[in-house]
Amino acid sequence: MKNKSIGDYLRRFSVPIMFVIICLICAPISGLSPNYLINEIVTRIGRNAFLILSLLIPIMAGMGLNFSMTLGAMAGEIGLILVSDWQIVGIPGMILAMIVSIPISALLGLFCGKVLNMAKGREMITSYIISFFINGIYQLVVLYLMGPVIPIAHSTIKLPRGYGIRNTVSLLSMRQRLDNLIPLNIMGVKIPVATFIVIFLLCLVIIWFRKTKLGQDMRAVGQDMEVSKDAGIDVERTRIISMILSTVFAGIGMIIYLQNMGNIATYSSHSQIGMFCIAALLVGGASVDKASIGNVFLGIILFHTMFIVAPKAGTVITGDSMIGEYFRVFVSYAVITIALIMYETNKRKNKSKAGMQLALAQEQEEANG
Amino acid sequence: MDKSKKRRLIYRIAALAVVLLIAAAMFVIGRGHTVYFDNKMPENVGTEVNVPYKIEVVVAGKSVAKLKSGERGMADTMGQNFNMQLLVTKEKGEDPTRLQVGLTLPYSMDGIIINLPALLSGLDESAYLSEFVYVPSAEEMKDEEVITDDTDNQMNFEG
Repeated sequence: MKNKSIGDYLRRFSVPIMFVIICLICAPISGLSPNYLINEIVTRIGRNAFLILSLLIPIMAGMGLNFSMTLGAMAGEIGLILVSDWQIVGIPGMILAMIVSIPISALLGLFCGKVLNMAKGREMITSYIISFFINGIYQLVVLYLMGPVIPIAHSTIKLPRGYGIRNTVSLLSMRQRLDNLIPLNIMGVKIPVATFIVIFLLCLVIIWFRKTKLGQDMRAVGQDMEVSKDAGIDVERTRIISMILSTVFAGIGMIIYLQNMGNIATYSSHSQIGMFCIAALLVGGASVDKASIGNVFLGIILFHTMFIVAPKAGTVITGDSMIGEYFRVFVSYAVITIALIMYETNKRKNKSKAGMQLALAQEQEEANG
Repeated sequence: MDKSKKRRLIYRIAALAVVLLIAAAMFVIGRGHTVYFDNKMPENVGTEVNVPYKIEVVVAGKSVAKLKSGERGMADTMGQNFNMQLLVTKEKGEDPTRLQVGLTLPYSMDGIIINLPALLSGLDESAYLSEFVYVPSAEEMKDEEVITDDTDNQMNFEG
């Protein structure tokens, strides 16, 4: 903490600074009105914040970026598909979808936590591959079991062949119901007050959770697993709980996300969600081992501003909107790559620093002896 | 089982019961229905009823349908209790009469047809309330190709 130079801060916040510069350049070029831009950003904060907040707990427990948040997203989608078929609409439909998704998310989180305990030190790549594995099972359930095994009555949801779910499921009956529950419009900017209240509550829960015994254990485990074990903390159980919580929150977050969108792309909604949420968090200045609530909101604002202005700016500059599309996808992946490289570099640097300090101490001891 | 474990088990069971109760409540209060309003002569009721010139249907303070004789309107609703206000104009040029109507919708029906002239004539529920059976269009019944992979067909390097 002490004696940090400007260079250290620049290095630490290089990604957010880069994004601020990109947004400042692209926003005027895009020609989008400030009102439109603010409206879009506010909508996207409501849509994405809950999902991204679900990433904080595994980071706290030292498990890095939870690529398997996709598992929770799938559970949320299953909840919404079933609720749509049962014709439960509006806010009650959302609540019921959450209740249905929670046990599925918890089971998937438990499974993921157990697997990650077997792959300590390689959590991120393992969780990334787990998300592909569970995606296969999700497809099996949604494509073949929904209909013959899990009853699906409505032809608007079921594929014409008689089993499996259509590519798109309409959520018109609950579209933006949470966002519009408490309507507020300030100077033409629509504020989704109820969604913000839910997000605020999750922030409070996270702040409170950090102060609990379990939260403290998670932070200890995140700092040093061996020391935590020696201190009597059940490291594996703590890590599993962090995965369960993250997956459950991701499931609820996905329901909030999809109610805003108004439809489910059954086989693809979840596939990129982890990647974009992680990219947004990293853009906000988080790292693999450190993230805060502030990083979440800064990340959404910067990442999504870039998402909104880049295609338009690309169209203005090159005459082809696809350039902007490519740019934003490229940047998402690039940010994650940079964060991973920086994490590994810092880890190695710290390791060699510790080694050098140890060698120095031994030399001094030998000289004294 | 010691006391603290017993207490924890009781708390867990209580929490589960509360969640199940909330889920049951959501099933009841969140059940969506599409209500169709017909301003036409009811079929197979055996008696003749008067079909008004125009009926305006107001649900939750919003006008959802203005039906002339022979027309159909619709509204989406949530829950089993359905309240509407009917502004009935019997003959052209007459002032409308305002009526408040409350109905209990059957849980099992997604789409419900209410025949307003039969309802206004005080006939049985079986005469004014029937199920709307949704028939998917030919377009909807066309086979749909499921796309489960974004990279589908992009990894084929032959030819």
